[in-house]
Amino acid sequence: MFTVPEKNGKECEKMTRTKLFLIVQAVLCAVIAVLLAAGALGLYLDGAAKQAEGDLFCYIFTRERAGAKLLPVLPLLFCALGLTAAGVILGIKDENAEKPVRDEKLLRDPGSIRERAVHQQADQKTRILRTAVLVIALILIVLGILNGGLEDVLAKGAAICTECVGLG
Amino acid sequence: MDKTTENKNAGIQRPGTRHLVQLYAALLYNANLRGFIDGHIYSGDLKAVCVPGFNCYSCPGAIASCPLGSLQNALNAAGHTAPWYVLGILALFGVILGRTICGWICPLGLIQELLHKIPTPKVRKSHITRKLSYLKYVFLAVFVIAIPLIYGVGKGLILPGFCKYICPAGTFEGAVGLLQNPANATSFYQLGALFTNKWVIMVVIGLACVFCYRTFCRFICPLGAIYGFFNRFALTGVKVDPDRCNGCGLCVMKCRMDVKHAGDHECISCGKCINTCARGAISLKCGKITLKGPETGKNADPEPEIRKRKKAGRIAWGIAIAALVFAVAWFNLIEPATDRTAPPAAAVTTDRPAETENAAGTEAETAVPETQYTAEETAVPAVPAADAPVGTEVGNLLPDFSTELLNGETFRLSDWRGHVVVINFWGTTCAPCVEELPYYEQLKEAYPDVEILAIHNRAGAKKAKDFLADKGWDHLDFALDSKEKGLLPLLNAADAMPQTIILNKQGVVTYNAQAPLTYEKLEALYQQANEP
Repeated sequence: MFTVPEKNGKECEKMTRTKLFLIVQAVLCAVIAVLLAAGALGLYLDGAAKQAEGDLFCYIFTRERAGAKLLPVLPLLFCALGLTAAGVILGIKDENAEKPVRDEKLLRDPGSIRERAVHQQADQKTRILRTAVLVIALILIVLGILNGGLEDVLAKGAAICTECVGLG
Repeated sequence: MDKTTENKNAGIQRPGTRHLVQLYAALLYNANLRGFIDGHIYSGDLKAVCVPGFNCYSCPGAIASCPLGSLQNALNAAGHTAPWYVLGILALFGVILGRTICGWICPLGLIQELLHKIPTPKVRKSHITRKLSYLKYVFLAVFVIAIPLIYGVGKGLILPGFCKYICPAGTFEGAVGLLQNPANATSFYQLGALFTNKWVIMVVIGLACVFCYRTFCRFICPLGAIYGFFNRFALTGVKVDPDRCNGCGLCVMKCRMDVKHAGDHECISCGKCINTCARGAISLKCGKITLKGPETGKNADPEPEIRKRKKAGRIAWGIAIAALVFAVAWFNLIEPATDRTAPPAAAVTTDRPAETENAAGTEAETAVPETQYTAEETAVPAVPAADAPVGTEVGNLLPDFSTELLNGETFRLSDWRGHVVVINFWGTTCAPCVEELPYYEQLKEAYPDVEILAIHNRAGAKKAKDFLADKGWDHLDFALDSKEKGLLPLLNAADAMPQTIILNKQGVVTYNAQAPLTYEKLEALYQQANEP
């Protein structure tokens, strides 16, 4: 009968525990995301249906309704935060993420990396290009200040454009 | 190796220098901390400057503008103002820092990395993610360049494509940042399909960041795509010494971004590869100054040089922290643009009906100091409101004010008692505002008795005048706000546009919300206010 040596068994157990922890946390994150997205969608569909009935001043979202939808997510959110804290303290993480990626297609031509470095070292050209772009940038800024571009940026930034941030 | 990954045996890892710099940048960009408390954004002159990283300018804490939002706005307006300023700013940031900005001083990068710290199984990079990394150029071309140009120059409409349809920073920092504050409760009224769409996008991107390192940065971020163009010749960034490099590719294999070689357009100069390279060929440089070099191995930098770098680092941190303390103090305690309770200037006089002179103070009343009421307050309105407290909330009596109109005449609120008055706050850079202005014109045509005052915010006055000259609307009264006039703080107007205040014939507020209106809604609101 197949037997696992004791040391490997402990390591396997640890690995299984880590994997389980990571999967639980992943599921939790996914559930939170689904609840957050579905909550907003649900609110919108409810409100849109009421508006379609002809209620001009039916507000789709209100602070109270949004709060009510968020409330069930909070325990899960705290749970995920707690697990994250535990994971960080115990040093639990996906070890594979730290390992070098040996994808053949990523390293089709490793020699070219050195060639690139040599190319990058072409200091004279780089320096000229850099200086030219710097000068152009400064000229553009001065031109922009003169043609009112600076004031446009201020006008946009000084007030909230509700459409831009997705408010409406 | 980065300190965060260096000590694998330790439970809680010390944050590395890069993470501290990221946190520092996020705090500095959002030094207007009082914005989170009072629910207003900073609207001072520094908003004319862009920060290098991705930080929504509608975030209550933001002290400067977002370069990507500004670029879209500039391209939108390219028909009459060439976008030199924003292009110059982007080129300047790009040539000095390149994508070092993404790795070190982008708040959105920090958020993505924090999300990725959540212990879950991780998706590793592959040739598929490398192909996906080109997607951000599509986002740049379509949402940042094509849509604003086509709509702005071609159709005369304001449409910042990326901000409006995708940007998760706008949703998280701007929308959520504002909505979480009870002061902006009426902002909820305008939420609809657009918000739902952006909320879902934000949640999906956030979830993706948990599993996949810097999902937004690698596959979506147009700002990263722009800075990537400069990366090869940027002053600051990861540089490879060709005399030491043997092309082993370990730096590429260990890197979590989709780089083809260290320092290419995908490299965010995080510096993780520096101590990965066994030959000490990689270093992070700013011109000829080495910011971070190999500290171990046979090609490690000499000990005195490392000590010198560390000493310089400590001095730089000292200066940076002093700058942060100054910025926080300035924006929260000194800068007048953040002080919304500042009394309006003498050009604006306020009064209230004698009957309500001693009414109990309201929250809004505190925004209009008692000392501002002048002798003119003896001008009792013809139709006095019954015991309504002075304020800006629904059911309050709006404080009287006067202001000079663009046509040279003077508007005085008390002159319009006995009429329904509509006050609209708008801006030329706000698409919903521009879209709804014709409805006000239409309302005035249909109901000549109504008085409509449209107030443009203080910035962009010249553009507003040009815009109105083009449109030729002559039924509406237009006024420009200014620092001196202080109309917006006087009327407790939010920073969010459009906002509309409707007063009944007694001068009592019947509607006050930050939301775009359709003609049908506007007419219904007018009729409601016009009821005896």
